[in-house]
Amino acid sequence: MQSILAVDDSASMRQMVSFTLKGAGYNVIEAADGQEALEKARAQQVDLVLTDQNMPRMDGITLVKQLRSMHAFAGTPMLILTTESSDEMKAKGKAAGATGWLVKPFDPAKLLDVVKRVIK
Amino acid sequence: MHNLDQHDAATVQRTALECEAIAADLERLKMVIADAGDQLIASFNEVGVLSKQPTRSADEQRRLDRAVATAVTALQFQDMANQLTAHAQRRLTSLHETLSKLSDGVDPLLAHSRLQPVRQAGMGVGSIDLF
Repeated sequence: MQSILAVDDSASMRQMVSFTLKGAGYNVIEAADGQEALEKARAQQVDLVLTDQNMPRMDGITLVKQLRSMHAFAGTPMLILTTESSDEMKAKGKAAGATGWLVKPFDPAKLLDVVKRVIK
Repeated sequence: MHNLDQHDAATVQRTALECEAIAADLERLKMVIADAGDQLIASFNEVGVLSKQPTRSADEQRRLDRAVATAVTALQFQDMANQLTAHAQRRLTSLHETLSKLSDGVDPLLAHSRLQPVRQAGMGVGSIDLF
């Protein structure tokens, strides 16, 4: 079973993401911010990272940068799921090494479609 | 009331812009909540009707799945609402600081970013960019 690390400081968002991904057969590991996600990523390998941008302690772009610098996550797809929709922020995400930028709110079918396309 | 000098006038103008931005945040918040409410009620009604049927046609099953998916999208409103209120609160703090400084005659610059964390004014599905 493929594992997805879902990172969001909003409990309701984590719930909606988990509901969607678990319903499609993925194993979901949840984290409430970038720092917690980094600690969980160090403990176990995941097949995809789906992260929010604006979070306390560590934001999504910083998390992507940190993970990209780790050998184990060099080729892992990383998607940023956020309310931020400016080109400026998207460019920062791309420069950090994100695989894609999804603007909230997400549609479950479209999220699953993107996950299937990028997960290895 | 004393006459405003040029510096004070500029500050008042910036303060008015901040007030306008807060009003826009609140209006967006109102629309996000209203849109989410409408979608949840519609989904709830659809699920309520279809889930009671002992058997469902392929089309009815698709409608049921769609209603659940719509609810999943609408239930994300809390996150967007939280960010809008947090943004408005930061602006209010900035206003408070500005007014405090203005009253003391100290240079009152609004330090907080104008970058808007939520531009959506409803619960329509967001865009996707793959790099």
